[in-house]
Amino acid sequence: MNAPQEKSPIIWDLPLRFFHWSMVAVVFTAAVTGYFFEEWWLDVHVYAGYALTCLLIFRLIWGFLGSYYSRFHTFPLSRNGVVTHLKNLLKGKSEQHAGHNPVGAWMIVGLLATLCLLVVSGFIVWGGQENKGPLASLIGYQFGEWGEEIHETLAGILMFAISIHLLGVLVETFIFKHPIVQAMITGRKEGVSATGKPVSIWHSLAGMLILIGVGAAFSYWITTKQQPPMAMSSNETYQQECGDCHPAYHPSLRSQNDWQQIMNNLSDHYGEDASLDATTYQEITAFLNSQNANTFDTEVAHKVGRHDTPNQRMTQTRYWQKKHDELTETDYSHPDIGSKVNCNACHKDADSGRFDDDQIKLPKGVHS
Amino acid sequence: MKKVICLTAIAAAFALATPAYASSILDEYRNQAQQENPSFNGFSAERGKAFFLTQHATGKAETPACTSCHTNDPTQSGLTRAGKSIAPLAVSVSPDRYTDQRKVEKWFRRNCNSVLGRACTTIEKGDFITFMQTQ
Ligand code: HEC
Ligand code: HEC
Ligand code: HEC
Repeated sequence: MNAPQEKSPIIWDLPLRFFHWSMVAVVFTAAVTGYFFEEWWLDVHVYAGYALTCLLIFRLIWGFLGSYYSRFHTFPLSRNGVVTHLKNLLKGKSEQHAGHNPVGAWMIVGLLATLCLLVVSGFIVWGGQENKGPLASLIGYQFGEWGEEIHETLAGILMFAISIHLLGVLVETFIFKHPIVQAMITGRKEGVSATGKPVSIWHSLAGMLILIGVGAAFSYWITTKQQPPMAMSSNETYQQECGDCHPAYHPSLRSQNDWQQIMNNLSDHYGEDASLDATTYQEITAFLNSQNANTFDTEVAHKVGRHDTPNQRMTQTRYWQKKHDELTETDYSHPDIGSKVNCNACHKDADSGRFDDDQIKLPKGVHS
Repeated sequence: MKKVICLTAIAAAFALATPAYASSILDEYRNQAQQENPSFNGFSAERGKAFFLTQHATGKAETPACTSCHTNDPTQSGLTRAGKSIAPLAVSVSPDRYTDQRKVEKWFRRNCNSVLGRACTTIEKGDFITFMQTQ
């Protein structure tokens, strides 16, 4: 039993291998949804981010509690080691290392650090811009905007780092003939002598339990820390009087100034008389003075509501037009929609003013 | 005791008034029409129908006729220009029509201005409701 184990000892314990390949899957999902389907698959992207968070937390714990080669303090990070390794590489050789080689170890440190920052900035965007997730009530919209830029930069850095990592793996595998991919699958490296205590199955089991524990604790945190309800406006009179011809638009969709203009011109309201009696007029004007895009800190308030247009239309803001540029007049004339100002036909959460991506449900027959 | 009588009286008034309300709006238009024009001799569903179907085109360009939104058939649902469905105007299909004076007046004010570019006369309003009651 002892003899073959000495020949090819387990270097990467099971929890570490599981971590590695889960992370590959999760990062792949997050990258594809982030780069190609940002709007439609934002939820999937975020779930991938949640999973990644759990994996990273686990990896940090395992860096202290794991088996010998999983622990951070065994990483060969010394400058001398790196220099020697690089010199060797230039001469066309690469020594077989039991754990990571020095350059590889730095690569891992870089990847883990980037991923941690990526996840943190992701939470900031999710909370600030979309008003969702555990940080929704803590982070304002503007902060979320900055978070997004950082998040995108980090994603670029990650893509670069992953390319280098893959390049390294290819070089190791095909030029130096070190089967490191196989090692990450079986955990064993042939022909190396391992340092440290041999990996025990009980230790690995404990690792998997820690991972499950982290996942459970995280899910608990996420579900109990649900998004705060939006400071919801509700004014019966407004809902009724401004909801007769089109849905009553959420007050965060126009600025105080634009609402005032609209109220001033009700008898010639986009080609119709929408005038009100004096009391109703007063009540609605007061309501829109107290609730409007300037009093809501949401993405829609910032990108649509606060941009005044010459005819006060939200559908003429640049953001609105960009978001709907794939929809045609034919789409809008669909019997279940009727007009582009019938936001509720496609946005199931329009009344709440959220306009979340996952609440867009196009009627059958509308392609986009 | 006085209170009870008062409340009963009020309740009774409401109970009696509600079913009769639809025609009470029409009654009011009738009184008003008589005052405005002594030779007035009743509303006409025929005139109401013609008014409803005419392409007036004297108001705003977007809305030349009542039928622009309410369709030619009062028993069918209409559609606002913003794509929202409007319940039919015919009393047989929408019994709660023409029962709330503020609502009726509000929409006559708006829609007549949009379609005709002026307020509707009392006779036009009475004819219109009379026509809708036959539908
Ligand atoms: C009599 C019907 C009617 C009523 C009542 C009405 N509107 Fe409108 N509204 C319209 C029409 C018609 C349009 C233009 C639709 C289009 O362009 O397709 C419109 C457009 C708008 C728009 C611009 C939509 C865009 O393109 O971005 C806003 C904002 C708006 N209405 C606000 C209000 C408010 C506030 C009230 C209540 C005081 C109100 N409306 C009541 C008929 C009405
Ligand atoms: C015909 C269906 C349809 C109608 C009507 C419609 N939208 Fe949209 N809207 C969409 C679709 C589809 C998207 C997603 C576009 C994308 O992300 O590529 C979208 C995206 C948006 C977004 C961006 C959401 C985000 O976070 O990315 C906002 C805000 C928005 N719509 C507001 C409105 C408002 C306000 C109205 C009414 C004036 C409206 N929409 C009417 C289909 C519609
Ligand atoms: C631009 C669209 C539009 C046009 C044109 C229009 N209406 Fe309307 N009308 C509406 C809407 C919207 C309502 C209110 C919706 C509801 O009550 O279901 C309404 C309601 C009414 C009501 C109130 C009914 C009640 O429940 O008491 C009357 C009366 C009416 N319209 C008459 C007319 C007449 C007469 C014309 C032509 C002169 C006309 N409408 C043209 C959109 C229109």
